[in-house]
Amino acid sequence: MTETALREGGEEPAVGARWQRAAARGKVRGTTKYVADLPVPPCAQVAVYRSTRPHARILAVDVTQAAALPGVQAVVTGQDLFALLGERLLTGPAFADQPALAYDRVRYVGEPVAAVLARDLATARAAVDLIAVEYEDLEPVYDVETALKGEFFVHDVLRPSSVFGDLSHLRGKRDTNVCYEYNLRTGDVDAVPTDGVTTVSGEFWSPPVAHVPIELPCTTAWVEDDRLEILTTTQTPSYVRQAVADLLDLPLNKVRVRTSVLGGSFGSKMYDRLEPLAAALAWSQQTAVRLVATREEAFLLTTRHGAGVTSSMSADADGNIVAATADVAYDTGAFADVGPRITAKSGMVAAGPYRVENAWIRSRCIYTNKPSAGPFRGFGVPQVTWSHESLVDELARELGEDPAEFRRRHLLREGDEAPMGTVMHSADFVGCLDAVTDEIGWTTPYEKGEGRWRRGRGVAVGMKAVLTPTIANAVIQLNQDGSATLMISTVDMGQGSDTIMPQIVAEVLHLDEGSVRVVAADTDTTPYDTITAGSRSTYHTGNAVRAAAEKMRDKLVDLAAQRLGVAASDCKVTSGGVMSTTAQETVSISDLMHGHFGARGTTLTAEANFTTSWQPYDHETGRSRQVTEHWFAGAVAVEILVDTMTGRVKVEQLAVAGDVGRAINPTLVEQQLTGAAIMGIGHALFDELVFDQGQIVNGTLLDYQLPSVRDVPAKLTAHVIESAHRTGPFGAKGVGETGILAIAPAIANAVRDAVGVRITRLPLSPERVLEAMTEAGVS
Amino acid sequence: MRMLNLTVNGRVHDVPVDDNELLLDVLRTKVGCTSVREGCGVGACGACTVLVDGRSVSSCLALAVRHDGAEIVTADGLPGDDAVVEAFVECGAMQCGYCIPGFVLMTHELLAENPQPDAEQIAAHLEGNICRCGTYPEICAAVTSAAARGARL
Repeated sequence: MTETALREGGEEPAVGARWQRAAARGKVRGTTKYVADLPVPPCAQVAVYRSTRPHARILAVDVTQAAALPGVQAVVTGQDLFALLGERLLTGPAFADQPALAYDRVRYVGEPVAAVLARDLATARAAVDLIAVEYEDLEPVYDVETALKGEFFVHDVLRPSSVFGDLSHLRGKRDTNVCYEYNLRTGDVDAVPTDGVTTVSGEFWSPPVAHVPIELPCTTAWVEDDRLEILTTTQTPSYVRQAVADLLDLPLNKVRVRTSVLGGSFGSKMYDRLEPLAAALAWSQQTAVRLVATREEAFLLTTRHGAGVTSSMSADADGNIVAATADVAYDTGAFADVGPRITAKSGMVAAGPYRVENAWIRSRCIYTNKPSAGPFRGFGVPQVTWSHESLVDELARELGEDPAEFRRRHLLREGDEAPMGTVMHSADFVGCLDAVTDEIGWTTPYEKGEGRWRRGRGVAVGMKAVLTPTIANAVIQLNQDGSATLMISTVDMGQGSDTIMPQIVAEVLHLDEGSVRVVAADTDTTPYDTITAGSRSTYHTGNAVRAAAEKMRDKLVDLAAQRLGVAASDCKVTSGGVMSTTAQETVSISDLMHGHFGARGTTLTAEANFTTSWQPYDHETGRSRQVTEHWFAGAVAVEILVDTMTGRVKVEQLAVAGDVGRAINPTLVEQQLTGAAIMGIGHALFDELVFDQGQIVNGTLLDYQLPSVRDVPAKLTAHVIESAHRTGPFGAKGVGETGILAIAPAIANAVRDAVGVRITRLPLSPERVLEAMTEAGVS
Repeated sequence: MRMLNLTVNGRVHDVPVDDNELLLDVLRTKVGCTSVREGCGVGACGACTVLVDGRSVSSCLALAVRHDGAEIVTADGLPGDDAVVEAFVECGAMQCGYCIPGFVLMTHELLAENPQPDAEQIAAHLEGNICRCGTYPEICAAVTSAAARGARL
């Protein structure tokens, strides 16, 4: 970790400082207000009737009894909304395939069909029980294998929603369950000589898992004058405004979307969750409505894609990796959501962070009759990392090489061209790997043991591209007293944007800790931002914030130059205000603005936009010279114990490293890394949504296991690697996902080390480990 | 509907409640304690934890009418210089922050019984609370720090 030098005059720099998290005390005492805690007008409480069938035509919805229940204000069906809105009822970030309420067909068990508005939730729920729906069952498609046969279709026709730049190439489709296919063809895997070549292959499976932020989704919508106001738990306020404006055919300035800090999200509070339904109900009924998902309903709103990867990796006689193949299938459930983006962005890195001349990858996004899968910390990359990091480990072992050393030899370096054609910059895989292997003492000998508990070590490396192209904006309002207000649509979900964005402003304007406040995202006041997701905010919004702060600095310098009668080039902003060397005078911001405007309490504003561009990948080869603005690089090393009696895996030590370019706030970076590691331990060892005929069977927190304090390794360390990015704000990039990419394969590689079995299906539950050991004859 | 007498953070409240109302909802909507939060509705995550007569209770499973006359403490009612709060703030024991008030109250309960808990005792007491951000290392450090300060309600 680099220590930041003090500035001129002994002033502490803001960037690189361990500022306390914004609202720390309020979060600890519970006085911080989340969306459900904020005041709203009196509302109808909404309960939702959900489909009991995985795939069926809706023949009739009888709401007579429900509507007659005292206290019920309205019962709204999908047919009612369709009559009002037509195909606008269908929304979605890639394809317009999600109806706020199903109107002709249901596509998964739990899909909303009708909504009851009542004076209280108990009445609304009682009325839901009185709704009767007549279905005609259609053939259900429960898994990707069935879906690929193409006998039955989840959607007959697909229409692109044309919202995002990276998905602008989507075209309409019909009669297929494959909503997106990404292909990478680099070199020629078939032309690789087989002589002396060692190939390892496998069928890897990552099950669907649930995000489970502890804050439940909550959306309130109401009509004020002729406008729609929405207060909601979303990490995509700008998207929601556009989606709702499209849905209701309103101008953007007649839809206001507000949020607050979120009680976690991890990708679950994105795009179309409760918002389209709340908006359609509030607008159609011209009333205020409140929707709060129960935990059981939250399990139905979105999941992480279950993904199968059939893959191989080959090395020649000299130990060079000469070929990699991967056939990836993402189960996206009933709606595409952002599955096409996930499919492409993960497919392009499915060969791993290695120098590989020949690669063949096919990555497909496939509909099934299950709850929709969407973004989850890592955007599909953990599922392909599970494949390439298991393969490379096995390949090293086959060749009799040390798995860490073998990786080190082949990892992409600065300036190398990755298999998809983009040149690497600021992605120090080797530095990350060195940090974690040093930490666990990789090269020091250890006893595997011969008794009940066996010890093993494993490593893995992760690689992910940031979403490109995207757009960020920032507006800074400098107040006459020297405090500042920052308007951005980035949502703080625990990742710490409300802390680090002020650090960037403070660094440029030489302000103190605590003097910059971030306004909660509100589309009436905070400018457009693509999404708060994919670890993109530090770089993108951070760059917009930095540019806005620099414009503000220039304004202050101009004001000081005018006032002091000196050249602007003679003035610079310091911690005490603006200083002129010639005039030997420093004017505080407060005096400068008071003098200029002649009043107290005045404001100066500055704004900036930061937009990235890319070269879209070639649709035949999947290659692009610039497929991404920057890379995330991470590595994990673990030491574990396997209980040979029960198959239980205990992680004793875990070291996680991420290249963040430059840590704006090292403490928050470390927390992102360790927090992701703990979540990743769950994915590795027990996290799994279990389905039976398309229905989630463990969708409550009594049944769904999450990591607790008991699952934290005795020794857990985060390692911040800083290879500055040439266009990052102060060299910085994001970190939210970096830590999670490689956790599961690192643990599986350690299991392989400890007991000699290679497990290719997650999670590594005791049953699965024991079964693999029994099959392999390990006692 | 009947009147319920609750002392919440030292202040007496007489609130009308239905027989089937949860303590969680009464505290949030009728007393105004929004530090008490629903996370699962089945007593499995600890976000709704309150101290009732000094003992931790999952308020999402507690019927309000069964707590007539109870003394309740919620995290937002802790004294301004509360040692557990100070320890959590200084140790950076929060990310999104949603679950943290529950951990703070569990820490108070633990330290009242066992002023100097070891790592195993801390884990044993906090294992029913879920922090999805994975702030457990900082939380455990905060409990140890609070113990060193001699936290007492």
